[in-house]
Amino acid sequence: MENSASLQESSLAPSNGTLGNSSLSPSIVTDHMCASALPHVQHSHNPAFISQSSRDLASLPPLDASFSQSTASLIHTQGNKDVSWSLDRLQMFLDLPENTPAPNQLVESSTGVLASEDHNKKTNWQEWADDLINVVDPDWSKILDNTNVLNPRVEVPKPSGDISKQQPQFHQNQLVPHGEFSSHAYPSSTAPPTKPRMRWTPELHEAFLEAVNQLGGSERATPKGILKLMNVEGLTIYHVKSHLQKYRTARYMPETSEGTSEKRITSIEEMKSIDLKTSIGITEALRLQVEVQKQLHEQLEIQRNLQLRIEEQGRYLQMMFEKQKKVEDEKGGVPSSASDDLLAPLPGSKHPPCNNGKSDSEALEQDHSRTGIGPGNAGTNEDKSSSGVSTKQKMLETESTVHDESGFSVSKRARTEK
Amino acid sequence: MAAEPTKYGKAKAEFVYMLNNEINKFNVFFMEQEEDFIICHKELQQRIKTVMDKWSSNGSRTEYTDEMAEIRNDIVDFHGEMVLLENYSNINFTGLAKILKKYDKRTGGLLRLPFIQKVLKQPFFTIDLVSKLVKECGNIIDEVLFPIEEDKEETKEQKGAIMVATEPVKGIFRNTVVALLTMEEIRRVSSTKDHFSLPPLNLPHSHLIHSFQLNSPIPIL
Repeated sequence: MENSASLQESSLAPSNGTLGNSSLSPSIVTDHMCASALPHVQHSHNPAFISQSSRDLASLPPLDASFSQSTASLIHTQGNKDVSWSLDRLQMFLDLPENTPAPNQLVESSTGVLASEDHNKKTNWQEWADDLINVVDPDWSKILDNTNVLNPRVEVPKPSGDISKQQPQFHQNQLVPHGEFSSHAYPSSTAPPTKPRMRWTPELHEAFLEAVNQLGGSERATPKGILKLMNVEGLTIYHVKSHLQKYRTARYMPETSEGTSEKRITSIEEMKSIDLKTSIGITEALRLQVEVQKQLHEQLEIQRNLQLRIEEQGRYLQMMFEKQKKVEDEKGGVPSSASDDLLAPLPGSKHPPCNNGKSDSEALEQDHSRTGIGPGNAGTNEDKSSSGVSTKQKMLETESTVHDESGFSVSKRARTEK
Repeated sequence: MAAEPTKYGKAKAEFVYMLNNEINKFNVFFMEQEEDFIICHKELQQRIKTVMDKWSSNGSRTEYTDEMAEIRNDIVDFHGEMVLLENYSNINFTGLAKILKKYDKRTGGLLRLPFIQKVLKQPFFTIDLVSKLVKECGNIIDEVLFPIEEDKEETKEQKGAIMVATEPVKGIFRNTVVALLTMEEIRRVSSTKDHFSLPPLNLPHSHLIHSFQLNSPIPIL
């Protein structure tokens, strides 16, 4: 069983130390052409609010999550931020959809792009930024797959050090022949040779196990054979390879421990006694641990549901405002009655709230009471704007009935008919 | 020549870019861990089955107890790690929400709502699988490994309070406790509360959790 906690403690310091150095060696962007552009880009821009926001990040409550990667991600050290930021900005301009120059060109005009007098591009910035939001998944994951593999900070601490070394080598071999960073902006862009991010499921893993067992066990099975046997569309040999590696490690650990089981038990006992006094015994210590863990799980579940509902409400409010605005624009100058029309009927809607809505609001109140807030205080979430309060509460009930635009106009018509 | 809109649009694009970078890191890490957990879960099930079979056919009590003890330790730690991954997911989401809120506040922008809708669908925040594994694991722990439940709530608590008051706590257990305390802290009544804020937390056994002595994981030299 991986002793990941202690591994993280030891790996945090070195990875942070090397980060500043390694991100400059453009393992991320393998073309040395871009490396020369770094000095230009580095200090040319420091928009006030961005540096402020980095300070804000540092002032967030210290997030002492066990996976120290999260703290490393959120609370950058200033030095790292500058270096990686300049590289990132370069990449960003490389990926500009409108900007498809050859890499050479880009290097020289990198600062030029920033001060661009291209009027077309100016107006497109906003849209492009919005597009950027939409491009979260596919492209960035491909792009950053290259970075993350080589970035020690993100590497998951594994029990055997081999794996973390093997992966970068593996991917470097793939990158070198292409000699450039694969992204859609490049004229000669190809599908990324490295594995695109894939999400394993238990069912998939079962199929994997079946294939492995058919081929004679984890030691004897080859990725190619497994891939063929599994016959799953979209699965590449890289996925199988890495999964097989993980699987072998997971099997290997308990097997080695069998030989040294006595040693293991005493070390576990030691750990538990350091954790908790031995007078209680290991069983009790384990029980306590499970209790605390279950509690955390429960609280997280509640918190997550709350967050989902809050965002849902926010989204709904937003939709309402937009519709209101739309109606105002259309009617062109009869704002007050229109807004009354839209908002007023909602609280007094005669539509029977269907079961979903009711149980939602009940469940929400239950959640609140579980977290120590009585039904009377359920309004903590929804206090500030006065119109917002009543609207939101009713929104919960009528959420399911007023779902899309057509539904909305239908219900509006129904009201006027009444 | 409108220099301002360009500058704003650019800055916003850069900001979004940075956020997306972070999100991708979360996703990558999360999915790696998830994959590990899937494998580990299956392995633990296998181990339990093997030990059970061996015991029912062989009957060596001490061997069974030893091996089960080992499995018990592993499974409890496994459960803990998964819960900590859930915590990782949640805490990063919370962080993003706060960052976006601050961004909107400082720039008067409207980035928060649409962006957070995207975040909700990200792999690192869709934790159904991990959640399911945690529950299954919890059930296995309850049914198979701790079948005798003789202690009452209070005695357990007392014992816990006595034993942990003096020694510093390490490892997964420590991180779990820290996570709970952090959650409590984050949800304390704040000055910037709005209808997007979470209500304060009221933990059961709060005093017990607070009584643990916690060292920093980073060795201070």
